[in-house]
Amino acid sequence: MNLVETIIESAQQLPPFPAVIQRALTLINDPKSSVSAVVETIQYDQAITANVLRICNSPFYGLRQPVSSLQEAVMLIGFDPLLEIVLGSVAGSSLGESIPGYDLEAGELWKHSISSALLSQIISQRLQWAQDHMIFTAALIHDIGKVMLNTYVKDQLLTIKELVKTKKMSFLAAEKEVLGIDHAELSALISEHWNFPKEIVQAIRYHHTPLLAPTDKEVVYLIYLSNLVAMLTGIGGGADGLSYPGYDEVMYHFKLEEKDVEKFMAQLGEQIQKVEALIQLQKPEENS
Amino acid sequence: MKKIVGIADMGIAQGQNEGLITYSLGSCIGVAIYDPVALVGGLLHYMLPESQIDPQKAQKNPYMFADTGIPLLFKEAYRYGAVKNRIVVKVAGGAQILDESGFFNIGKRNYMALRKILWRNNVLIKAEDVGGQVSRTIRLDMETGKVWLKYSGEGEREL
Repeated sequence: MNLVETIIESAQQLPPFPAVIQRALTLINDPKSSVSAVVETIQYDQAITANVLRICNSPFYGLRQPVSSLQEAVMLIGFDPLLEIVLGSVAGSSLGESIPGYDLEAGELWKHSISSALLSQIISQRLQWAQDHMIFTAALIHDIGKVMLNTYVKDQLLTIKELVKTKKMSFLAAEKEVLGIDHAELSALISEHWNFPKEIVQAIRYHHTPLLAPTDKEVVYLIYLSNLVAMLTGIGGGADGLSYPGYDEVMYHFKLEEKDVEKFMAQLGEQIQKVEALIQLQKPEENS
Repeated sequence: MKKIVGIADMGIAQGQNEGLITYSLGSCIGVAIYDPVALVGGLLHYMLPESQIDPQKAQKNPYMFADTGIPLLFKEAYRYGAVKNRIVVKVAGGAQILDESGFFNIGKRNYMALRKILWRNNVLIKAEDVGGQVSRTIRLDMETGKVWLKYSGEGEREL
């Protein structure tokens, strides 16, 4: 078996994406969902339930009487923070781990993933698209391949970085050149293995090379831009840094201007502080 | 003990124990200032050049923008006894993606905004490391006033 086959096989042994989170994301992203439908979905996940109650009863919300039922808690905090809590529970999964090959500490890839997902909402809003959990999920897991590629990148980091420096290659192209597969392709294979719809797989596969996408260009471009703005903001910037190409075509396609990119960053800046505050609340034992 | 300065955030330290650090500067810029006499240091991590694109957010968080954050950084340091002509300024960040077009060169715009503000106020930059495609971390050591720069995936060196 060659290296690429080994990498692909290990990707196919990944545990499935938690179904409760996928269902909860779908419901929470739909403003027409009822509180009880959401409660019914998340109540079977102990960690999420405990976190919702703990956060609801934290000084952050300043309640006089502690809340004890999930229903009450969800009604009180609303869907927006709930989304962050549900996402926070994914942080314990592989996306939350440290990824030394890319020089990312524990939680950094996770913050990048959440930021990209939030940006996909921010940009969708600007483009007046309906909120779509499919896009949100694609943005959230677009870098999952980095988790699997980690050890191989770590072994070859010097060679990869040398190609980036001397040949002005993108980090992605250098991964492909040295390892035979890049993290975008691997992320796409993993999302296929998780039975995500074709559009998600497509958007993930082309998140650094949007102009090559044969179909679903709209979604591909949106995920590309979401990831790009998260990188510019520096969230989850690792060994690969900003060594990826920028394509004007995507901006022209959406009729966006320079100032729009800045506005997206400003909107993200506001939300990421909120997300970080909640991530901190969820891990009280780690506060130092 | 190090105090962490987040994205669109600012920190001030006084005395010799507490240092300041800010992580993962992409196109954002980190500005470290230090007065070796008053032993006052400050670190700003701003995201964008001009507050006019979103005045409301600038009011809520002035540290998001160069034009509102930089003056505040100095003002806060003065409050702790720093004096303008003693302050040493060091700067890092402002990275770019590849194939830079006008659309995505926030790093360059961030740097230009900084130069303009400091020039207008007769403040010199003592050391800087800007541009390129790297993600940077900078740390202000309050005991020595030295600023340490780290590229992601590489070792720390003095700026």
